[in-house]
Amino acid sequence: MGVRNAFKALAVMSMIALPMSAAAQDKATIGVSIPAATHGWAGGMNYHAQAAVNRLEEVYPQLDFVLATASDPGKQVSDIEDMMATRNIDALVVLPFESDPLTGPVKRVAEAGKWVTVVDRGLSEEGIEDLYVAGDNPGFGRVAGEYFRQRMPDGGKIVVLRGIPTTIDNERVEAFQKALEGSGIEILGMEHGNWNRDDAFTVMQDFLSKYPEINAVWASDDDMAVGVLEAINQAGRTDEMWVLGGAGMKEMIKRVMDGDKMIPVNVTYPPAMIASAIEMTALKFVSNAPVSGRFIIGSVLITPENAESYYFPDSPF
Amino acid sequence: MTDATTAGTAAVKTGRPSLDLHVIGPIVALLALILIGALMNPNFLSYGNVTNVLARSAFIGIIAVGMTFVITAGGLDLSVGSMAAFIAGLMIIVMNALVPTLGTGWPTILAGMAAALAIGFAAGLFNGLLITQARIEAFIVTLGSMGIFRSLVTWLADGGTLSLNFSVREVYRPVYYDGIFGIAWPIIVFLAIAALGEIVMRHTAFGRHCAAIGSNEQVARYSAVHVDRARLAGYVLLGVLVGVATIMYVPRLGSASSSTGVLWELEAIAAVIIGGTVLKGGFGRVWGTVIGVLILNLIENILNLTDLVSPYLNGAIQGVIIILAVVLQRQKKATR
Amino acid sequence: MQPAPQTTARTATSAAHAPILALAGVSRSFGPVQVLFDVDFDLYPGEVHALIGENGAGKSTMMKILSGYLEPTTGEVMLDGAPVSFTSSEDAEDRGVVLIHQEFNLADQLSVEQNIFLGRELKRGLFLDHKAMRATTNELLARLETKTPAWATVSKISVPEKQMVEIAKALSREARVLIMDEPTAVLTRNEAEILFRQIERLKAQGTAILYTSHKLDEVARIADRVTVLRDGRHVLTAPASELSEDAMAEAMVGRELSNLFPDKADANAAETVLVLKDFSVPGIVENANFELRRGEILGFAGLVGSGRTELMEGLIGIRPATGEIRVNGKARQIRSVDDARKAGIAYLTEDRKERGLLLNQGMRPNLTLLALQKFSRILIDRDAEEKALDRSIREFDIRAPSREIKVANLSGGNQQKLLLAKTMLAEPEIVIIDEPTRGIDIGTKQQIYQFVRRLADEGRSVIIISSEMAEVIGLATRVAVMRTGRIAGTLKGGDINEDAIVRLAMGLEKKAEGND
Repeated sequence: MGVRNAFKALAVMSMIALPMSAAAQDKATIGVSIPAATHGWAGGMNYHAQAAVNRLEEVYPQLDFVLATASDPGKQVSDIEDMMATRNIDALVVLPFESDPLTGPVKRVAEAGKWVTVVDRGLSEEGIEDLYVAGDNPGFGRVAGEYFRQRMPDGGKIVVLRGIPTTIDNERVEAFQKALEGSGIEILGMEHGNWNRDDAFTVMQDFLSKYPEINAVWASDDDMAVGVLEAINQAGRTDEMWVLGGAGMKEMIKRVMDGDKMIPVNVTYPPAMIASAIEMTALKFVSNAPVSGRFIIGSVLITPENAESYYFPDSPF
Repeated sequence: MTDATTAGTAAVKTGRPSLDLHVIGPIVALLALILIGALMNPNFLSYGNVTNVLARSAFIGIIAVGMTFVITAGGLDLSVGSMAAFIAGLMIIVMNALVPTLGTGWPTILAGMAAALAIGFAAGLFNGLLITQARIEAFIVTLGSMGIFRSLVTWLADGGTLSLNFSVREVYRPVYYDGIFGIAWPIIVFLAIAALGEIVMRHTAFGRHCAAIGSNEQVARYSAVHVDRARLAGYVLLGVLVGVATIMYVPRLGSASSSTGVLWELEAIAAVIIGGTVLKGGFGRVWGTVIGVLILNLIENILNLTDLVSPYLNGAIQGVIIILAVVLQRQKKATR
Repeated sequence: MQPAPQTTARTATSAAHAPILALAGVSRSFGPVQVLFDVDFDLYPGEVHALIGENGAGKSTMMKILSGYLEPTTGEVMLDGAPVSFTSSEDAEDRGVVLIHQEFNLADQLSVEQNIFLGRELKRGLFLDHKAMRATTNELLARLETKTPAWATVSKISVPEKQMVEIAKALSREARVLIMDEPTAVLTRNEAEILFRQIERLKAQGTAILYTSHKLDEVARIADRVTVLRDGRHVLTAPASELSEDAMAEAMVGRELSNLFPDKADANAAETVLVLKDFSVPGIVENANFELRRGEILGFAGLVGSGRTELMEGLIGIRPATGEIRVNGKARQIRSVDDARKAGIAYLTEDRKERGLLLNQGMRPNLTLLALQKFSRILIDRDAEEKALDRSIREFDIRAPSREIKVANLSGGNQQKLLLAKTMLAEPEIVIIDEPTRGIDIGTKQQIYQFVRRLADEGRSVIIISSEMAEVIGLATRVAVMRTGRIAGTLKGGDINEDAIVRLAMGLEKKAEGND
């Protein structure tokens, strides 16, 4: 049915749930632990988490939220331990910085009988969490790859900018490469731009020096796309290639809406998934709606036709 | 100028008969890298690539010139990367706020530049006063201000990215991308600052005082050097140069975020040390720093232009070359 | 001529009297510079052997070769009659040969006890045996009659105490040969007496002791034999009893030394250039009052720690101070060395290595550092600097192997001359010289005394702080004596003598005053 619709349905459900449960429930504290805003996507995720917490606290006075942002996995573990020890949380919504180091601490939370919602990055051990909400990383790569295929039926030469070396990045790139198999599209080079504008700018400058002919760029992230576009601009090769970023940064969506030739489409990986996860967790405490299970928010191709529904001008991302 | 050069060579002749690795080590490393690059990829020496590398080097280079003075005087500044992000963020906010009154042209940009220099001055003063007046270790002060500046820019950007008004950016853009006589502005500014820095280090009382303080603070004090004043001046100079670097950086992508300038402080410090300045102070040379910056940026460029090693290993290659460059210099020292 | 047959005699009489440590035809070069030429030397168990010579004569190099810090370029080191080649100073220490450095080799942040056992900690099982180490340390410190507690942190104890700790450390290694590089240079008289007693005791136990000193009276008193080095060559070895102090000095310098001190001039009639009134350095100096006349040499005597250095540091603005300073009749506020320089006052520190010169830099930047404003408008005029260096090298007879040499590699005497030159470049009217000849050989001493005299003759006023009584007596026309932070009294002309100074310095005169 499309994950976005599922999200909408849940939102509607929570609205319905509100009047009948507001007074009845006991007080509950929900801990939210997420990585700090170190790049654009994370910034958006922070924004959506904060917005969801504010909204829910207003609507459900009986809910208390503890929001902590961590700059590294160690800090995140401490945050979770503090939440357990000093705030006595009833549920934990966690977007793990890295899977392995967070598995043990989150498992202990689950063993203490608390509700656990894991977002985006899965834990190393299955069955710990009650609810799993995630983006679809292989899907993110696959959708992009399929678009390249469709756009270049006769093959072509492309370069790829990768993110920070992580499982997420590997899953995306593998799916992308798989989608291109047998298409005649040649990947000239792949380098890490670390989901960072400046690094992407540098890498793209060097790609441009190295390859006299490039038909398209998979920047794999909208922050990196900003740097890539600037480097192409500088080299004066704007007519030669187009760029596909990803994750739906508002400026990029705007350009897709406006029909920019260099940014024909985008692929979603919504930072708002954290808000869905928080809202679904809240539902557990304010209603009897069944919320456990796995929710994978698929990556969707944004085209000039559907771009408007993905455009959030107020979000920082 | 000619006099200085002849005096220099004469001194070398009377002093040490053989070529000093300590002096020529970084130059040799740089030439070797250029040779490797040229052999690996014909585009390496193309005008476009050379311009790219030099212009990219400019930000860290300008900062590293200032860092050379601070390190020579026995100090350290870990906050410069965060400071650059903070200044870039504030500069963008200031310019965006001025658009309604000053329009989208040069008046706004000049005001933004002035703001960048003023903020850099203030940030350097903040570090310097804590170090010289409150007598807190430079490492601790700047470690603290590193966190402060970084958080402030994240807060200003609301966790996201601050973007410069589109029309202002169009006017400002040439400051990074254009130049005169085919030389890009960042390169011109970098080289001018490096040349000035070299003169200040070698031929002014301030440079001499920095070296004196770095080699023995007590001796400097007993020799009528205003130790605190000279130190403070070093940090302020560095702050202003971070401002200059930011002025060159903002027109490139027209944005600043919490990921701007990450690890610039370490790159700047590495460049200074590769160039032959002594980490614990007492001896510094600006031209060496320039070479250090070029070495660091060339390594990255060459690794991108060739497919020699897995990109996962880029950091390792840089690390090995940094250590090698310093080991070469130290060996010579030990046999002295 | 004398020693040779004696040596044979000794070797012949008993095996116990064979040299424990010896050098045979040892030469040593540093790059192109040869500093030792074919030196023969021997040291017997149970003897105190003094090694003397001017700075740069090669004493340090020779001691370092004997103790494993350096290897000879040619020639042999012999231990117990057999050629030996120490791989390192640790190796030499393991074989019972220990060198105590002039600059101590102590870990500043560790305690006395931890230093003594550094690297050879006593252990019981896996753990440190604190009890045993504390007991041994206390015993060693008691033997040396020092009051330093075993738990004291080395950075907090005084220089003579550090010396004692070094000796205790050597004793704990059961040294058979103890080599001491100017052990008494930093000690007071009393402390030196304790050291001499300890040396006597070690000697009685059969330890061989080699030491260097510039204090010839001391050498005459405690040494059994004396070896003189000059310009890297062995000049003579003789029993101390057969050498007068003059003979030692002449052997060192290689020429006859006429009067060590220049003639005095009378400056009583000249105008006053400096007045200090009720001058205090909080916690150290209380209500000092003195004045200084043009062309005068004023001596400051007193025990180490009596506040002489601190008083002068207060005057030049290094330490916070209260009271009135008048220069040429005008009241001056002096809050930094720069203020002092502007007032025409310059101070030569007693600690030329830590406070006077930048050891890792060349002569030129050192020379001009104090008076740098004279050489720079916006840029520094390097030609002018070079000329100033030429002039200073000539004027102060600075002997350096090359102009580019690092100051650390100059001998003590030449460093002191460079420091003098640096100070004089600021053209001060008032020159304060703290310990003008500490650690300097007798030939250079004489030169420095001449410089000081010349300064006074040029119409400058000089203050000399010295722990060497002879120096103060020989140079100054007036002597202020300090005791526990106060000026105990001032002596003039014929009243200046050792006895009067000691009485004031020890507080004996005060009692006498109080009686009448």
